[in-house]
Amino acid sequence: MSDIRPGQERYVAPIDETPLRAIDAVNVDAVPENQWKEAWKRLRTSVLFWLATGILLVIAAMIFFPSLFTGADPKSADLMNSFSPPSDGHPFGYTQQGADVWARTVHGARASVAVGVLTTIIVAVLGIITGAIAGFYGGIVDTLISRFSDIFFSIPLLLACIVVISVLNNTFPERGFWGSVFVVVAALSLFAWPQITRQMRGAVLEIKNLEFVDAATAIGASKMKNLRRHIVPNALAPVIVASTISLGVFIVAESSLSFLGLGLPANVVSWGNDISAAQSQVRSGQNLQVMFVPAAALAITVLGFILLGEAVREALDPKARKK
Amino acid sequence: MWWYVGKRLLQTIPVFLGATLILFILLKLRPGDPILNLAGNKPVSQEVRDALAAQYHLDDPLFVQWLQFAKNAITLNFGETFAGQPVFDLIKQTFPVTVVLAVMALAIDAILGITLGTIAGLRRNGWFDSSALVVSLLLLSVPIFVVGFVMQLVFGVKLGWVEPTVGPDWNIGKLLLPAIVLAIANFAYTIRLTRTSVAENLTADHVRTARAKGLSNGLVVRRHVLRNSLVPVVTYIGINLGSLMAGAIITETIFNIPGIGNAAYTAIQKGETSTVVAIVTFMVLVYVLMSLLVDLIYAVLDPRIRYV
Repeated sequence: MSDIRPGQERYVAPIDETPLRAIDAVNVDAVPENQWKEAWKRLRTSVLFWLATGILLVIAAMIFFPSLFTGADPKSADLMNSFSPPSDGHPFGYTQQGADVWARTVHGARASVAVGVLTTIIVAVLGIITGAIAGFYGGIVDTLISRFSDIFFSIPLLLACIVVISVLNNTFPERGFWGSVFVVVAALSLFAWPQITRQMRGAVLEIKNLEFVDAATAIGASKMKNLRRHIVPNALAPVIVASTISLGVFIVAESSLSFLGLGLPANVVSWGNDISAAQSQVRSGQNLQVMFVPAAALAITVLGFILLGEAVREALDPKARKK
Repeated sequence: MWWYVGKRLLQTIPVFLGATLILFILLKLRPGDPILNLAGNKPVSQEVRDALAAQYHLDDPLFVQWLQFAKNAITLNFGETFAGQPVFDLIKQTFPVTVVLAVMALAIDAILGITLGTIAGLRRNGWFDSSALVVSLLLLSVPIFVVGFVMQLVFGVKLGWVEPTVGPDWNIGKLLLPAIVLAIANFAYTIRLTRTSVAENLTADHVRTARAKGLSNGLVVRRHVLRNSLVPVVTYIGINLGSLMAGAIITETIFNIPGIGNAAYTAIQKGETSTVVAIVTFMVLVYVLMSLLVDLIYAVLDPRIRYV
């Protein structure tokens, strides 16, 4: 052992010469890791997150580049092909009307996801603004917003949409793709925002009494700046999780409305319409793929959004997972 | 307690008025002349027009018409269908089946959801918990009508265990499959809520105390964990009645059950907007009353609520 010097009987560890001051020194310039950066670090290692991202990327590709998946035209229908079995280039055969099942499923992604995404954006923006105002200002403003949202909350979402859309169907019977999407989105958003309002209000109420908000007030931040810079960003986490999951719920709601004949009109290619049109086949027990292919696409997409929400929830709140 | 009951009752009034206002506005937004609609789009003489306007309060200010609408809803006077049948008669004929169906669905949801959720919560992160999580996520992603068609196909058409559709002479046996389908929509949430709630309560102080004083595991779970865990679950199941009624429209249509949901579906198909609005108004009325009831039961179960 080279550490043993001549005259020394046994090994003695060298004195730790790190000056004490260096240990005590705190790097004051280091930016504290923010919540989202830390969450991203955890997300990167989450299997759930990559599974969800994978699913959603495939769906996004279907929406923007449908020709990658199918060469057939979803709207061309030839009754000669009614319920034709699968053939080369048409992996799932044909519908009763003689349209390519796979092509309709690929092209149907656009309308269904558009409804989900647009509704979620509107609902999140409305809910975040109203919830933040109600929670932050309290008093009469809070009472007004809370009671107002209670009213919309008291009508179950699907029932409300049934009424709104049957009225709008009478008022604007003719509308194009975006017009039809807009009607469904408007009906869903009108009655779905109170859920996010409640959540946001709760989160803001919790955060506005925390010490860092007092600290910001102490160094002179105005009320508005406090709300914008400190409270809202910190209250967003649960709302983002809830919105991601509700995106899936809205896609399901659109398909349920289509099933009732109140979703997108029949000339729009959407999963809801295709599943709804295929219901008579299921009763006969034949040509099941006509229903199950669009239904599976819908379920996988919704699962993708729910899994993404779950993964983000776990990443933002690691305590919940360890328990 | 009475103070809480009073407060909760008072809160119900603006909610009910607001809900009727929304429905009333929607009804008013319908295009066309309501009198011509009533008369089947035939030309109407001025006397008939005046008489109809007086009968349906069409000349009153909108505000008064709305109060009239709200009053009609409370007194269950919903007008007539296009065929001339009072909507309330239609509701009286169809509502009992829906109530039976909804109660069966609630029972299935509560029994299965709470049992499976408790097992998953007690053995958190075990194989049962993980598979329950996967199954509940899958159930959440599939629309209820697809579940309905699959069940109908498998158990009704292929296996022949039950009749695929119910038809006018219904009984509890026939309603079992539709009730399961209706329950599935909420089942996933019930499992997850129970699981989280049980898992949280397992680490609570009072549970540790109960163990420390030597209670058996079974007693601790039954008396101390479950009782406390079930409070949010019971509320959730109660609030679910609303989504059950919306789900009933779909389930009753698939299985051809002569319930209120099916009546709503038929009215939608015929484009009878006023009947649709009347039925939905009735459902909202039931929903508002049920959530009031659930909140009051909740206050009895959990004394903490009364003092908040």
